[in-house]
Amino acid sequence: MPPMKWLFAASFAVLVVLSCVAWSIKPEATGTGKVPLLWVSDDNPARREQIELFCKLNPQYDLRLDPTNTGMEKVIVQSIAAVGPDLFDCYDGFQLSGYVKSGIAWDITEELRKEIDYDKDVWAAAFPNFVLDGRAYGFPTNVSANAIWYNKDLFDACGLPYPTGPWTWEQFIPIAQKLTVREGGRIKHFGLLCDWWNWRQFVLQWGGDVYNEDGTRCILDTPEAIAGIQFLHDLMYKYNVMPSPADEAAMATAGGWGSGTITYFAGGRGAMAIGGRWWLCTLRTVQQEKKKEGKGLRLGAVEGPHGPVRVFRGYARATLVNKHSPYREQALDFIRYEARKPYNDLINAQADALATVKRFCYTPEYLHNPDFPEEDYNAVWRDVMDYAVPDRVSPFINGQAASRIIEKQLDLVKNDKKPVQKNLQRDPEARARYDEIVRRKNR
Amino acid sequence: MTSDEAAKSVRVYEPAGRGGLGTPGYAGWWYRRGQFIASHGLLAVLAITMLLPFLWMVLASFKPLDEVENLNPFPSRWQPENYAKVFDQVPFARYYFNSVLVALWVTFLQCLTSAMAAFAFARLQWRGRDMVFRLYLATLMIPGIVTMIPNYVLTVKLQLLDSYLGLIVPASFSAFGTFLLRQFMLTIPPALDEAAWMDGAGPWTVFWDIALPLARPGLIALAVFTFMGNYGSFFWPLILIKSEHLRTLPIGMLYFDSVYGKQTNLIMAASVMNLIPLIVLFVVSQKFLVRGIQMGGVKG
Amino acid sequence: MKGRQNDILAAAGFLLPNILGFLVFTAGPLVFSLAVSFSNWNLQRTIPFQWTGLDGYRELMRDNEFWLYFVNTIYLMLGMPIAIGGSLFLAVLLSQRLRGMVVYRTLFYLPTFTSGVALMILWKALYNPSFGPINAVIDWCLQGFGINDLLHAIGCGPLAAPQWLLETKNLLGLDVEQVGFVAAQRGIGAREALIIMGVWIAIGGNNMLLYLAALTNVPQELVEAAQIDGASRWRVFRHITWPQLAPTTFFIVVMSFIGSLQGGFEQARVMTNGGPAGTTTTLAYYIYTKAFQEYQIGYASAVAWILFAIIFVITLINWKFGQKELSY
Repeated sequence: MPPMKWLFAASFAVLVVLSCVAWSIKPEATGTGKVPLLWVSDDNPARREQIELFCKLNPQYDLRLDPTNTGMEKVIVQSIAAVGPDLFDCYDGFQLSGYVKSGIAWDITEELRKEIDYDKDVWAAAFPNFVLDGRAYGFPTNVSANAIWYNKDLFDACGLPYPTGPWTWEQFIPIAQKLTVREGGRIKHFGLLCDWWNWRQFVLQWGGDVYNEDGTRCILDTPEAIAGIQFLHDLMYKYNVMPSPADEAAMATAGGWGSGTITYFAGGRGAMAIGGRWWLCTLRTVQQEKKKEGKGLRLGAVEGPHGPVRVFRGYARATLVNKHSPYREQALDFIRYEARKPYNDLINAQADALATVKRFCYTPEYLHNPDFPEEDYNAVWRDVMDYAVPDRVSPFINGQAASRIIEKQLDLVKNDKKPVQKNLQRDPEARARYDEIVRRKNR
Repeated sequence: MTSDEAAKSVRVYEPAGRGGLGTPGYAGWWYRRGQFIASHGLLAVLAITMLLPFLWMVLASFKPLDEVENLNPFPSRWQPENYAKVFDQVPFARYYFNSVLVALWVTFLQCLTSAMAAFAFARLQWRGRDMVFRLYLATLMIPGIVTMIPNYVLTVKLQLLDSYLGLIVPASFSAFGTFLLRQFMLTIPPALDEAAWMDGAGPWTVFWDIALPLARPGLIALAVFTFMGNYGSFFWPLILIKSEHLRTLPIGMLYFDSVYGKQTNLIMAASVMNLIPLIVLFVVSQKFLVRGIQMGGVKG
Repeated sequence: MKGRQNDILAAAGFLLPNILGFLVFTAGPLVFSLAVSFSNWNLQRTIPFQWTGLDGYRELMRDNEFWLYFVNTIYLMLGMPIAIGGSLFLAVLLSQRLRGMVVYRTLFYLPTFTSGVALMILWKALYNPSFGPINAVIDWCLQGFGINDLLHAIGCGPLAAPQWLLETKNLLGLDVEQVGFVAAQRGIGAREALIIMGVWIAIGGNNMLLYLAALTNVPQELVEAAQIDGASRWRVFRHITWPQLAPTTFFIVVMSFIGSLQGGFEQARVMTNGGPAGTTTTLAYYIYTKAFQEYQIGYASAVAWILFAIIFVITLINWKFGQKELSY
């Protein structure tokens, strides 16, 4: 054994050499004279194509992606140290109010109005993500509303006609029951798959909401909200057309389609599923992989069944401009790019949900993508936008804090541990806790 | 406490004479054979339960996307191209290199600074030593998450944003490593360095020639921990690094984990490759550990 | 060590590199977070910044959630002694000079290496209530050995395999919504599932590695001499190996307490989301949620410093206990 001194000295020498290598293969400071722009967003193939197109159309910029795990932690922490990105994504209304109140988001209302009359031209469901109290702080990247995806092969196998909308849950149940097929004690596929976080849609469809108009009260204990949640519960435990958490866990191993509703659906574990157009990004990949094996996945889409009210959950993502960025004026060019045709057409072609500017969804290319001729359901995703309602946020309470309290109660409903009624209405303690938080914020 | 007491516990069991050279008389061939089989049998059973998940992960990395979470470990169709795809879709080699480089630097610096501090706490006598040490120890008890923000602001102020240095420097000083090595240095028989002190050696010589070689098992363990911990660190590089060419593996892997296309089979392939440096480091370190025994035997 | 009573200068030299970095990157931020814990600092700036003194701490004492998650954290530590004991046992086995020991060591360390995502997916599948292998074995035992028939015969209800990650029940019958015990909550659920998984991961992990390292420092001559004198294996271990391992054991125990009181973050984030119904949310996860999802840095810091106080007291106890038991 060499003495320790030598060992350390040798390690040090090796590290220095490695560092020199690292230093030397550092890329050139690219695009001399180009303005660097940094965008915090999630990293994926679609996003990279969107960046590429921007840089092609605006050669004066060098737009780079700074990946994130979609939370706000990164932008907030960076902005405290005044080194935030130039552009960053905002995933819901509460995040927007957070960014605005922290003074990170830049009010671009006037500039944006010069480019687009957004009140008229942009889908209403995207508004909470970029407009607060009548001021605009960015522009939505894409938007979506829930409808139903269905698997044509499973309908054919059961000898059922493809569904057409609009329809109600009463019409839906018998069809879904026929599509819930058991084989040898196990459930082969379910009639419906639905991510639990869509519970808000059921509350909305039964005429309830999470908060009251001015956001000062949680109204999940109203009869309407309870009826909505009760119905969702019944889909699992009364009509048995939708997997309960236990069933879902079973699917992951038995069917082997990975977790997540999209993968279950793609794997033929459900005949219908509540989802958005953005599912297509994944579904196309699956279709390609299946094609290689000589199999297929034939898809259809239809407006979702509705309850007493015909509404569906709408949601969006928006890009905001950092108020403290030295390149904030230049960053506006990216916002303008998002409002124009090339970007919107790209979004529609990628099936990265739906373009946010309405008129670009009324083009022949949108309805019939020449690369994917079998996709004949694009009109559905657009038309359902007229009934899309975004999640209401309370300006007084952090959505995360509220949902921790709410989800805990709903978890018990979901796992059938507590009756819905008792859970939402007769839990005075949860009720009191919630009101207490709102009161404190209101003070 | 104090090393005196620890030392006492060692001295009590000092051997009456230097034995160990003759053949152990009581252990017959059959006895040893039985012991051998029993040890291996037990270890093998345990090892298999540990190995299965890893094998499952390796097999999953060859699966098509739709079979990844299937409990059946064998892919219906082998897809070695998953590995090629990882390199195609992101500059994986660069991320790999960055991760290893940063982790190696942190490991080196942490081992060095911790060993020096541990030496001061374990083998040198000075007033207030134990007070200072307890203060060190106390800082381990605060969840690191609350110091994230001040640390970040500081790193930015020091102009270390978006650089290797920003990843390396703040991670290079550790109370954990100091504590660990101090515990190892406490077990060194005081007779050894006393002899050196008597011969007129300075603290510098004692540190390099006696304390460090004898604390080598601890040093190896610390190196493994530090490398692993830093190699897998996620949140710090996430907020600190903005340039693509400085990204580390955990950040690069976000690409396969996005909302739109969670490519779990590629995540598995990347994870398997992710593991290789760790396994190499571990096996090498364990070789050193074995040699350490022989060395200790000769010296002691 | 007579004659070397004060090496203060040398000590300062050796401490310098570490203490500089330590002051800048650890001590400074800690003082900062302590100060912040006495304020209402909220990243979202809906409320203007102000010093609120002990308000945060007072609120915390009344915070039902804090206490629930505190109980969770303590409960999830139950696997710790098994994990430490198991590590020691394994390390002793693996420190024998037999062929292939490095291979075994690597195998046992694999779960620590393997990526969290892979482990999570696998364990979820293992715990699957209907088709998972764990429940398959339990069902097989219940049916095969006629345990349920026996129970039926003596007038008890049949036993069913647990729902694992979907279940809020636990061995002690801790209630979901407030701190306390309810008979209906007695059973096996998500918390037990996490404990078992934790032991499995930890048993061949860092603690084993530390014990292995410490065992190589046990003078082999002592062991052999004792064996020649006819000492039994147990006596050799108890009187030669164990005392030599004392400082390492002390380190492992202290760090395990610290680690598990601050732990459960990764599991909660990737495996259970803290559920079902918050039963696997630990204090570390709560601090994260408060700081980075609800932006209440002030409050999160207060929780962190309370956690510090708890860990500090436990470490003091360890210290006292360690001096007696571990001759340290």
